[in-house]
Amino acid sequence: MVLVDIRETKSVKAADIFLQVRPGKDFELITILRAMIKDQPISETQIAETGLTMEQLQDFVSRMKAARFGVMFFGMGLSMTRGKHMNSAALLTLAAEMNAFTKFVAMPMRGHGNVTGADVIMRSQTGYPFGISFNRGYPRYNPGEFSTVDVLVRGDTDCAFIIGADPGATMPQPAIDHLARIPTIVLDPHVTHTSRLSRVHITTAPAGISAPGTAYRMDEIPLPLHPALESPYPSDEEVVRRINETLMKKPDWMGERPQILQTQI
Amino acid sequence: MSSKRFLMNPMRTAKQGVQVNVGKDSDEYKEIVTTLSIHPNDMAAMGVSDGDRVMVKTEFGAAEFGCQTAKVPEGMIFVPYGPPTCKLMGGSTDGTGMPTSKGWEVEVEPIGGTQAESETE
Repeated sequence: MVLVDIRETKSVKAADIFLQVRPGKDFELITILRAMIKDQPISETQIAETGLTMEQLQDFVSRMKAARFGVMFFGMGLSMTRGKHMNSAALLTLAAEMNAFTKFVAMPMRGHGNVTGADVIMRSQTGYPFGISFNRGYPRYNPGEFSTVDVLVRGDTDCAFIIGADPGATMPQPAIDHLARIPTIVLDPHVTHTSRLSRVHITTAPAGISAPGTAYRMDEIPLPLHPALESPYPSDEEVVRRINETLMKKPDWMGERPQILQTQI
Repeated sequence: MSSKRFLMNPMRTAKQGVQVNVGKDSDEYKEIVTTLSIHPNDMAAMGVSDGDRVMVKTEFGAAEFGCQTAKVPEGMIFVPYGPPTCKLMGGSTDGTGMPTSKGWEVEVEPIGGTQAESETE
């Protein structure tokens, strides 16, 4: 296992080799690796910029090529620093190009909860994993335009429905300020920072503990969850279903109800 | 005591992940998300010691944190994501959907006092 990070994390103990890359030099490092696997010329000066040495990278490349099935796990260190999607795209390209030599895949590391499940279900129902707008009656995908932070910071929405997430404790302040301005409705087993700025908080049963469902593992394997404890609270699914039922009873104010998903898979 | 510029890297920790499920009102969660990990040399350069309070400023906002010596590279500070780091983030995502929330330059200014004093105020 080769660990690449800007500092020694706890994962160092599990790693065989630790490569300490200079902050903000991920794109440069990945681009150099892409060149090196194809035997393109690379200078010591170019490598020095990343904080690593030619020997370290030559060893890294030979280890990648010698693997029978390699996997690159990447996290927010790539996607939330300068370069963002360009960094992730470079890594995905490196993984794709490594397949000229051996089997290689790249997989994003997921944070807490069922993040992969949200992506998988959105993808199967709409064709897109996130950053989707339904405002024309059909799904459109454009990260940077329809993604949550952008929609909130621009002030596009006049209502927000937050299920099992706490943007009030994670998003940039301008996005949080907009959530506080508009009617925000929160479904969560806990009272969160978002609950405090919302108009309505509905306590729901924690999924996997008191509510059944399916969680997706990081490699997109679905795992059925059987509740171990009873909860006095309804599940997220039940609350959303009841809200949907009530909405359907309201008169069709647009004249023609936009295309909606009538059933849940 | 003097202020100093740092490269700030908010992050996630296993401890923080546990506390998210316990509840974000707990003192433990609050302490986790308001404690900066700093290299000992940087602490000395600013004239602060473990537990001292500092104000972290970006072009978008400011938030107060407590200091803690840690094995991190010089010139960089680390803190788990939470309400204080939200105040430091700008709203632009550069057209990607993802706000810049790692590896950005901040100014750290000692404000005197310890974490315990600030809680009793």
